[in-house]
Amino acid sequence: MLDEIVVSGMGSISGIGNNLDETLQSCLQMKCAIKELQHIKSIHKLPCAEVSYTDAEMKAILNIADSETATRTALMGMIATQEALNNAKITNDSKYRIAFLNGTTVGGMEKSEMYYFDFLENDKFNHYIEAHDCGACTEKIADYFGCFSYVGTPSTACSSAANAIMLGAELIRNGEVDIVVAGGSECITKFHLNGFNSLMILDKEICRPFDETRAGLNLGEGAAYIVIESSKLAEKRKIKPLCKLSGYGNACDAYHQTASSPDGDGAVIAMTNALETSGIEPKDIDYINAHGTGTPNNDESEGKAIARVFLEKIPYISSTKSITGHTTSAAGGVESVISILSLNNRFVPGNYNFKTQMSCLPFKPVSEVITNVDLKHVLSNSFGFGGNNSSLVFSKI
Amino acid sequence: MLNKPIYINGAAAISIQEPLNETVIYNPLNYSQVHVRCIDPVFKEHLNPIAARRMSLIIKRAIITARYAVKMAEIEKPDAIITGTGLGCVQDTEKFLEAMIRNKEKFLQPAFFIQSTHNTISSQIAIDLKCKAYNNTYIHRGVSFENALIDALLQLNKPKIDSALVTGNDEMTPAYFKLLQRLNYWKNSVDSSLNIVDSENSIGSFAGEGSVSLVLSKNKIKNSFATINDIKLHYNPNGIDEKFIVDFLLKNGLNTDDVSLFITGANGDFNNDLVYKKLDNLFDNNRIGHYKNICGEFYTAPAFGLYAAAICLKNNTVPKTMMLSNNNLNNINNILFYNHFQNRDHSLILLSKCIN
Repeated sequence: MLDEIVVSGMGSISGIGNNLDETLQSCLQMKCAIKELQHIKSIHKLPCAEVSYTDAEMKAILNIADSETATRTALMGMIATQEALNNAKITNDSKYRIAFLNGTTVGGMEKSEMYYFDFLENDKFNHYIEAHDCGACTEKIADYFGCFSYVGTPSTACSSAANAIMLGAELIRNGEVDIVVAGGSECITKFHLNGFNSLMILDKEICRPFDETRAGLNLGEGAAYIVIESSKLAEKRKIKPLCKLSGYGNACDAYHQTASSPDGDGAVIAMTNALETSGIEPKDIDYINAHGTGTPNNDESEGKAIARVFLEKIPYISSTKSITGHTTSAAGGVESVISILSLNNRFVPGNYNFKTQMSCLPFKPVSEVITNVDLKHVLSNSFGFGGNNSSLVFSKI
Repeated sequence: MLNKPIYINGAAAISIQEPLNETVIYNPLNYSQVHVRCIDPVFKEHLNPIAARRMSLIIKRAIITARYAVKMAEIEKPDAIITGTGLGCVQDTEKFLEAMIRNKEKFLQPAFFIQSTHNTISSQIAIDLKCKAYNNTYIHRGVSFENALIDALLQLNKPKIDSALVTGNDEMTPAYFKLLQRLNYWKNSVDSSLNIVDSENSIGSFAGEGSVSLVLSKNKIKNSFATINDIKLHYNPNGIDEKFIVDFLLKNGLNTDDVSLFITGANGDFNNDLVYKKLDNLFDNNRIGHYKNICGEFYTAPAFGLYAAAICLKNNTVPKTMMLSNNNLNNINNILFYNHFQNRDHSLILLSKCIN
């Protein structure tokens, strides 16, 4: 029998809120954070969902000197990690072996794209060279707290945070660590804004996931982590868990570097594996927080995969990227937090801006927030470039 | 950590030594440059030229070593594919970044962006092997490969997973070499790369690059290289002490006398090597080995080190170029492999000879 893994805390910062309370309120009110780009200068007029804080504001909150080298991705990561640790009642002098698993893909690119030619030509910004790689970002966050004896950086593009959570559960089950803080952090960069734009998958309007008229995604940014541990340890620490992480699945679509297979084979395997490890049937899932980017390709492929797995009874489905934007590597973290909030606050988040059902799908997403509803099992999907598909199941205790 | 020892059944490398040849560690090339690129195989002998045209260099190398290792391990496809890479597809990242800055965000082609994400390597291997199994990628500085390896071993603890392909891939582009040069990663000059570890007390190493694929399995085959018995990753920006190593051995029922060979990540950089020298009391010089003098320094160099260790165990002999004593070492049973990055990230791997 596998050890039961429970979620004992969480923290989140994204366009829809700088903490858990604000995130919950935005979800309940279906408040969309996607608007004109503020923090980075780009020639493209593309709507995005940014964290409201400036870097200076975050440094002030964190009590970090303005002169200290810290990328936006690291700063957001620190804010969300702080909230998660507080929420799980973990102090910096904790006697437990604690891991920090931080999914990210852009790492320090936000500064590299500003100073790249300086990097090549002079020594002015050498401190940002050191901060460029993804692992450096993870360690920057970890060092701020000083309580982590294991760090790791999963990077599978848009499913990075979900894979961090899966690794965390395995590390606990195999006795490598006691407690894991897992999720992801990613700020918007010109690099991936232009990358997604060159692929013509960014909508110039507010995105419309699972809508027949959908025309692409909007980028978001943020950081979010969940704290997981064995139910035994949570009991010993006298923590009332938020929910169980009852299952997870990871599979590769092995179809194309940036496109999903037409029938969503990889997604079907990931969701099926997640259900199997949870020991539940498809009909037991009450709500799916979909990957639902709003691109024509993803929503068709994911939608068909959902229809294949949940043939018997289609659960409530929505994409909260319609309000948070696509927070890329952090998405699995942000959406795990939203999934857990929905379990514990008895609501189904709405899929903002939905009008027309997709003709190729037998279902439509939840278009208005549903409240006073009992949810037992919620499934969260995160799919990345390269067909890196991951699904997580959170269950009420 | 492991339920039982895991066999290394396939191993292939493209490095600054002759490609796809297990004997290279016994007769390595010596370089007098600070930046050495891989010796590539003739790609058209391995890859469909039309498909290869769309692949970047690092992807070609990764696919070739993956295929080799999988074939050697006598399996059709692995039950998991996991890659460690410090910088991912950095050549394409640089191309997209440079074009974006120079052209002020205009006229950008998606091809370089598509190939730029770090997980391109694992997913391209999956597409090539038509393998929909568990797939993951880790980017964590000098322990990126060990991050991937521990995940592979965690997967192999599951009943349904019998084999895992774990790879370490990095390319050292001229631009990234230059960036790391600013951070004092490299020496000003090198006379003899093979002698870099004991040459001089100066700062920096010499740069290499490489693609290494290992297939791990629960099942022994005739040509199994060695077993992996345990792994430990530890983060401590203040370094480790002897106890860290002794405790790891004790957990495996061993003491320092049972270790035939202690392999370090010594690379000729004064500060890097000092961390290993502080452990001198544990093992005498006749039992201390290294590998970065053969493959050069890059984030996933430990993948080449583990490849070399597996070959040594299979052949029951360690070449003198890998030894601090500069003498050959025979009759080896257990290898303890220790690597650190900036004395912050620490990894220990215990390997043993296959028992028939």
